[in-house]
Amino acid sequence: MSELVERIDQLLARPPYATPPAEHLAILLELLKEELEQLWCRDGGLRNYVRHWPVDLRSATRLADLPYLPVAVLKAQPPLSLVKASEIKRTLTSSATTSQLPSRIVLDAATARRMTKGVAAIAQNFLGSFRRPYLVVDTPDSARSGLEMGARGAAIQGLRPFATEVTYCLGPDGKGDIVLDRDLLIRFARAHADCPVLIYGFTYILWKYLVQPLVATNTSLDMPSVHILHSGGWKRLQDEAVNKETFNTGLARIFNCSTDHVLDFYGMVENVGVIYPDCVEGNKHVPTFAEIIVRDPLTLEPVTEGERGIIQVCSVLPTSFPGHLLLTDDLGELVAYDGCGCGRRGTCVRFVGRVPKSELRGCGNIELRRRVAA
Amino acid sequence: MNDLIRVVDSPAEISTAVTGVRECAAANEITPNIILDVFEAWGAALGEPETADIPGVPFLRLWLRRNTLEPIVIRELGRGALYGDWMEEGRARLKAYPVGVVGHWPAGNVEIQPVLSMTCALLGGNASVARIPSRLSEQTQRIMGKLVQVDGNRLLTERVFMPIFDHDRRDLHEAMAKAADGAMIWGGEEAVLRVRTLSFPHWARLAVFGPRISVAAMDAGSWSSSGERELWCRRIAREVWQFDQQACSSPQAIFLEKKQGYFAAEFVQALRIAFESENRLHPRRAIQPALTSAICQARASWLMDNVANQAVFPTGPDWTILLGHGSDIPRPTQGKTLSVLEADDLIKVIERLDGNVQTLGLAIADAERERELASLAAKRGVSRIVKLGHMHVFFPPWDGVDLIRPMVRMVRHVCQTD
Repeated sequence: MSELVERIDQLLARPPYATPPAEHLAILLELLKEELEQLWCRDGGLRNYVRHWPVDLRSATRLADLPYLPVAVLKAQPPLSLVKASEIKRTLTSSATTSQLPSRIVLDAATARRMTKGVAAIAQNFLGSFRRPYLVVDTPDSARSGLEMGARGAAIQGLRPFATEVTYCLGPDGKGDIVLDRDLLIRFARAHADCPVLIYGFTYILWKYLVQPLVATNTSLDMPSVHILHSGGWKRLQDEAVNKETFNTGLARIFNCSTDHVLDFYGMVENVGVIYPDCVEGNKHVPTFAEIIVRDPLTLEPVTEGERGIIQVCSVLPTSFPGHLLLTDDLGELVAYDGCGCGRRGTCVRFVGRVPKSELRGCGNIELRRRVAA
Repeated sequence: MNDLIRVVDSPAEISTAVTGVRECAAANEITPNIILDVFEAWGAALGEPETADIPGVPFLRLWLRRNTLEPIVIRELGRGALYGDWMEEGRARLKAYPVGVVGHWPAGNVEIQPVLSMTCALLGGNASVARIPSRLSEQTQRIMGKLVQVDGNRLLTERVFMPIFDHDRRDLHEAMAKAADGAMIWGGEEAVLRVRTLSFPHWARLAVFGPRISVAAMDAGSWSSSGERELWCRRIAREVWQFDQQACSSPQAIFLEKKQGYFAAEFVQALRIAFESENRLHPRRAIQPALTSAICQARASWLMDNVANQAVFPTGPDWTILLGHGSDIPRPTQGKTLSVLEADDLIKVIERLDGNVQTLGLAIADAERERELASLAAKRGVSRIVKLGHMHVFFPPWDGVDLIRPMVRMVRHVCQTD
């Protein structure tokens, strides 16, 4: 196990987007096979799943042949764990806005440490390594340390290594909602007008609680050196007919910065330590310690460049829960297996949206009747 | 043809078309005997290359034959109904009259269902307005093209209208419902519930088919016989493949009664070969990503929830066999995902069935035991008990309901004088 951990750490220490794809995939295949053999065997159900997988784990020659889990298995209660209860330091929960039940991800100290390092390595590649003032467009409560932490909190905490100081600009409004603290925000903007600043918020929260109130009062903040990171999906904004361009332009106007400084990143709590910010070409890249496979829904085989399918995320980072190979509920487009114009090596994708709910289930669909009966 | 089946975009288009077919049907009484002649010719025409490859058309051709439908008309409406005669019943006489315009809301997963539903209403002398889901428009146009071809005098086509529109066009559904004297509603729960809330006239008759699921059961004498195993497995594979296991008559689970010295795993291996063979013959052409996700989820949760469970599946989502023990029906996944459950006693299995189950496919070597199981299943709410291999054979009563009679008025004339 210690040798395995050492190899994971070695991979984590590499520059995240510099390894040639063939070498990257070969390293990942061997590491993941060992992780599955050494870690998944700790759980009887996972062992049974691997045993019945149509491709023998030891003879698998492609990453795509390894047994992956649908992400929904991480909604299990109690959470799936590969470590003793006493070793669990924190449980992360997903936002569960569309799926009702949240995923629950258990972290031991080692996984939590790798999670922080993974996010830092990626963010550093996009933002530079220096620390700067960090404005969080959320409430302090959302990132409060505790045994359980939600997706928003995990994202906020993941960027802390870049902060010299942290400022939260939202607070409770006393009526059960949250509200922008304008005075605090304006003070922050004046104090840091000329220096680089990092801003993070959930996409919908940024729009509803920062952009909309400031646009309504025609307020702008002169902070051309900000970098604004956001994550959390577009569904609610799409419902309000706000697209990416409108969103980026709105934020850029507020801060008087270039729209290039607004970075959307795809990430999911279950894929700990990995975030996927947009590069200048508008693509999402996979770091050396991870990989994305876009699978054709008809065959579950990896698609070719330019095709769309279901996103599978792969990561060597977790050792406390089985988050190594997860078939997500998201659709993506495989842009290229290498050669993005931004210079980053390896697979790059674009996020397309959630897998649409099935519409045609036919006369054999009795789901509601069963639910009512239950 | 354009008048008969076309995309509509306004309630007015539906109202105008319904008025047209209603007037035609009212002006021209037509007997089942004449309709059967047209159906016979239609069935023959459907064998031509343009339509022969549409899923379900081989079955539709059999359905349209006089040999199939004439007995159904006689059983449901009486012998005299074939020629539009009154039937004597003591001092009274009876005759079937159409209810008027029958609206059809077919399920979107069965290519021939709009047409099947429509044939039932036409045999009752009704006009028909069948909503065609966009997904089925191309196949339905080809099928109806053959009816136009054989129905030179427009005996049937003048009383049929098939509007094509999306399921979320509530205004168009409402227009159809308001004009209907009867409705035949097929589909999953969401679809059926949505249609039932439409503003039908108070006199409209509703016949609802589905949503329900189906299961199969085999006694040890059937599944453990090495000589017959392959044959049974081929039958099961065909039952699962038809309609991509989304029909109410598709088996979602099969219960195998245990027998000392015989192992269900051997049966599953034979089933695997049958599934692989069926998949080569009839590979899936398209799939919704949500179904792929559901299949992956079913495989994982089955194997992870109970370490005694087993499963066989290929790397793709083509098919899945989940093997375990128990008497309860697992949550259906569809998409050719079949649960095979070993059970100590089939009686215990059947005792746990309820009104959710439409069809029970049986493979029982002992005829007396089969009758016992069938009676128990009927008591528990099952509507069809058939031989395994015949689960999709569309023959009334379906879902416990006749297919023609619900859409006719049986008029009784009590004679004043002898």
